[in-house]
Amino acid sequence: MSSLEAKGLSKAFGGVKAIDNFSFEVGGHDIVGIIGPNGAGKTTVFNLLTGIYSLDTGQVFLDGKELTGLPQHAITRAGIGRTFQNIRLFRGLSVLENVMTAADPYSDYNLLDVCFFTSRKRRREHAVRDLSRHYLKIVGLEGYEKERPESLPYGLQRKLELARALATNPKVLLLDEPAAGLNPSEVRAFIDLVRAIHDQFQFSIIIIEHRLEVVMELSSKIFVLNFGKLLASGTPAEIVCNKAVTEAYLGQEET
Amino acid sequence: MEYLVSTLTFTGITLIGVLGVYMVTGLTGLFSFGQAAFLAIGAYISAVLYKSLGLPLPLAAFVAMLVGLAAGLLVGLPTVRLRRDYISLVTFGFGEAIIAVLNNTANVTGGAMGLSGVPQRTSFSLVLASVIACVAVVISYKNSKYGRQCLALRNDELAAKSMGINVERLKLVTFLIAGVMTSFAGVLYVFYTTYVEPGAFGWVISAEWMIIVFVGGVNSLTGAVVATVLLTGLPEFLRFASEWRIAIYCIIVLLILNFRPSGIFGEHEISLDFLRRLFRKGARTA
Repeated sequence: MSSLEAKGLSKAFGGVKAIDNFSFEVGGHDIVGIIGPNGAGKTTVFNLLTGIYSLDTGQVFLDGKELTGLPQHAITRAGIGRTFQNIRLFRGLSVLENVMTAADPYSDYNLLDVCFFTSRKRRREHAVRDLSRHYLKIVGLEGYEKERPESLPYGLQRKLELARALATNPKVLLLDEPAAGLNPSEVRAFIDLVRAIHDQFQFSIIIIEHRLEVVMELSSKIFVLNFGKLLASGTPAEIVCNKAVTEAYLGQEET
Repeated sequence: MEYLVSTLTFTGITLIGVLGVYMVTGLTGLFSFGQAAFLAIGAYISAVLYKSLGLPLPLAAFVAMLVGLAAGLLVGLPTVRLRRDYISLVTFGFGEAIIAVLNNTANVTGGAMGLSGVPQRTSFSLVLASVIACVAVVISYKNSKYGRQCLALRNDELAAKSMGINVERLKLVTFLIAGVMTSFAGVLYVFYTTYVEPGAFGWVISAEWMIIVFVGGVNSLTGAVVATVLLTGLPEFLRFASEWRIAIYCIIVLLILNFRPSGIFGEHEISLDFLRRLFRKGARTA
């Protein structure tokens, strides 16, 4: 049973077709990779799925429910969580609060609880705090709760992005270049972390990544984009052998 | 003594208005140049209802706050979708429009002549109790999911949306609470001064409140409270300098913003936790 289904996504910016009739499916518990040269439109795909850009044509379904045209926050609550390529943590908030904000939309107390300091507010706040601590522990950020995100080293900021995305309670998690800027040993650890998270939660993961080793190792299926068009799709082994893909990355062989 | 109490009472009323600006500007990052208009709404509606229609004071106050809420909805609903700089323009226009309405409905409001003969029903203790209640609500708001989400959206609206936060609704909710709170301050105001005129609610007042929030530290409630006491009290204490006092006031504000751009308190709060840590640090060095 497929969980996320994107049909004929298209988006043009001015005269440039950033994404041209791109369709794909992700199963209920898969890891799928999207690769392609710079400017192929990978991040645009994420921005279309999460509603940051509106689709020119095409439809997005999650578990059979149509998400096309919903506002961003509704798409997130429906179950599409994401991280950002250029880390976008909330600077005015602590590490723990960053994760809490992502869990907060599911916290069901209201303004009256706030104004009259009810025990319901206190209980819910406790629950959100504990849940957020739990997510921080999963990504290995225990003990950093009170730090400011901007004071964390780069690799830990990436992990915090991940913890925050987990807290949105996704059915499909979109990771936008999660290993960018990490050193080789950190990349290794990151691959293990993503795999561990995938085993622990019942969601699918879509990864955009420049480092092919990450995608090759994690994904069961890979989609290759070039100039906004689907160039090839298949298992990592098939993609490695695909002639069109090597040409797109390395250029044509002279004959 | 009487003079001190009246200064403190005005400071308290100003503080409630500043708390509204703190929520909208400090927490959420929206610039409301029309916040003082809510003060006018609260003051005029309650005074007219009480004086002309003979409604009991609590009911008049309640209706005034409801009207404040409705006015907030009227301005807020279409504006929360706008970009931040446009929000400040719209709220500015709203504030000035309210004043124009007050000036041009002379048969009800007295127009530019003002509305006088309102009985004095506000006491210092009532203002003090109101201030405590409002501060408590704002603290609770800041330490709730609402406050956290406000800070998040102020920082990065796109990321906030991607975390499932309904940004537009949150902006509206915050704006409305601030509006109702400021309307309430207006009720306290008119029943203390016994006289109001439209000129007292211009954008200058809104701007002054915003200056107070920035001097205190945009992100700090403690800062807002301290800065209110300092900056509303200050002109009174500088009275001996007569015409120089506004200049001195401006210089002090400039100095603070120049040497502490994030305000006196930045984003720090004086909380129990903070005091405990301070105490422990002090004990260690002693």
